[in-house]
Amino acid sequence: MIADDLVLEKGVTARDQWVTVPAERIREVLSGLKADGYRLLVFLTCVDHLIDASREFPARFEIVYQLRDMDKPVEIRVRTFIGGDSPRIDSVHDIFPPANWEERETYDMFGIVFTGHPGLTRILMPDDWVGHPLRRDFPVGGEVVEFSEEHQIWQTAPDEA
Amino acid sequence: MIESPGVTVTRTGEQGAFGGELLTVNFGPHHPSTHGVLRLIVDLDGEQIKRVQPVIGYLHTGIEKQMEALRWQQGVVVTDRHDYLSPPINNLAYALAVEKLMGVEVPPRAQVLRVIMSELTRLSSHLVWMGTSGLELGAMSMLMYCFREREQIMDLNEEISGFRMHTSYIRPGGVFADSTPRFLEMLDKFVREMPGHIDEYEDLLTMNPIWRARTIGIGRLPAEDAKVLGATGPMLRGSGVAWDLRKSMPYSGYEDYDFEVAVSNDCDCYGRYLVRIKEMREAVKILRQALDRLPDGPVNVDDRKMLPPPREELETSMEAVIHHFKLFTEGYTVPAGDAYVAVESGRGENGCYIVSDGTHKPRRVKFRSASFVNLQALERMALNHMVADMIAIIGTADTVLGDVDR
Repeated sequence: MIADDLVLEKGVTARDQWVTVPAERIREVLSGLKADGYRLLVFLTCVDHLIDASREFPARFEIVYQLRDMDKPVEIRVRTFIGGDSPRIDSVHDIFPPANWEERETYDMFGIVFTGHPGLTRILMPDDWVGHPLRRDFPVGGEVVEFSEEHQIWQTAPDEA
Repeated sequence: MIESPGVTVTRTGEQGAFGGELLTVNFGPHHPSTHGVLRLIVDLDGEQIKRVQPVIGYLHTGIEKQMEALRWQQGVVVTDRHDYLSPPINNLAYALAVEKLMGVEVPPRAQVLRVIMSELTRLSSHLVWMGTSGLELGAMSMLMYCFREREQIMDLNEEISGFRMHTSYIRPGGVFADSTPRFLEMLDKFVREMPGHIDEYEDLLTMNPIWRARTIGIGRLPAEDAKVLGATGPMLRGSGVAWDLRKSMPYSGYEDYDFEVAVSNDCDCYGRYLVRIKEMREAVKILRQALDRLPDGPVNVDDRKMLPPPREELETSMEAVIHHFKLFTEGYTVPAGDAYVAVESGRGENGCYIVSDGTHKPRRVKFRSASFVNLQALERMALNHMVADMIAIIGTADTVLGDVDR
């Protein structure tokens, strides 16, 4: 189990067991849990808590790891909080191989940098995309589409064409 | 670099085992056998695959972002569209997650109807898989046979929900509408006829020498590798691991049904085919049990704060009018917190993780899609096989690109 000094908070929400741990020791926590039998990383994702007045959060980004012990079967959700302009956390792709693409997706969508990841590039959005779409401050509805008046090609088209 | 329409070949400069150079070949994205728009960058030594790098994102539609802009009850419509071959199962994962966070339990009749829709969807998803995979590997007539039965499932969908594909039938709080007598009649006929049709498919494929030559020993994925790579569904069961969420972590009353988990120890493409055939037979068994036990009663929770009142109440009750107005202008709120629910789709674990900040719109919705995770096992399966086997491997992995890219 996780050592007591690593647990910042724990509880149960909607029958789901969860534990909050410090971000800088995430690798230690996850490899410990893997040794305990939680061998499947169900998913890994991020939640942006920008301007969320419903609860108290230590930082803006919450990284969520859902782990499962397939023999019992039981699940545990590991949460950790990171903030800052370029949020960073250690990669766990070598502990749980499925994390490889999930971390790329989280980087793509939230701009979380996973240090130690072998190829942290965009996975779903085009490589030249600017911004991270699932952040809460990413504008919605302002997308410039081809043939709209704001579109560059439209604006620079020759008048006589 | 040699270019021809749709194919780009680059020399890597690395030496292969056959005295030639390793070639990098671009496979897809607009290739019919990639089941959508999957691009693979394949390094070849002669005709042997040495490296595979999948490039995805061509079907990315920002579903998770859209969910944040929609109210809780509107989100159902979007969930239909990520794994477009199994809409009711996607609905179910989302509905169960919302209900879990709200602490709502749906009536027994709704639970059975949900099981019926899930199993019909599993059948239709496997039928599409078998038809298209057969087509790719030379069994052209499979598509005609499989789509004949899929058409009946579409008719059933239409009868119960009004839609053929994106049904949005399963919603938080229950289902869209009660089943009609005609639906039950049609379903009864379908369940009686389907085992015979499955025998027909088996006659065409199971002992078919071409099908066996193309699938046996191809795309091996040992059980340990499948577990480490996080594969679920027929990919995992085809590798001999008896893990099915319907049995291991039952939801929606699956613990009351008598069915077997389909497992094959072959660990190859043929094993995954056998698993799907067996799953279709088990799905028919579950449908028969569900039809026999379908209890009477309501199909929605009796909560006016969550679901609109019946039409006739609006004419007599002022309170009903207020509830109706509030629901359709503002929607309902879900208590702050998060919940994760996983259901077994035709492709594996289809999960939904929702985070609520206590308002009428979700803070975050994450779909854990089986195809996205299973696709990561592609390189392991394709290594040292021929290019032509790649088609069989992609086919039996049964990834839906809408589900991969979301």
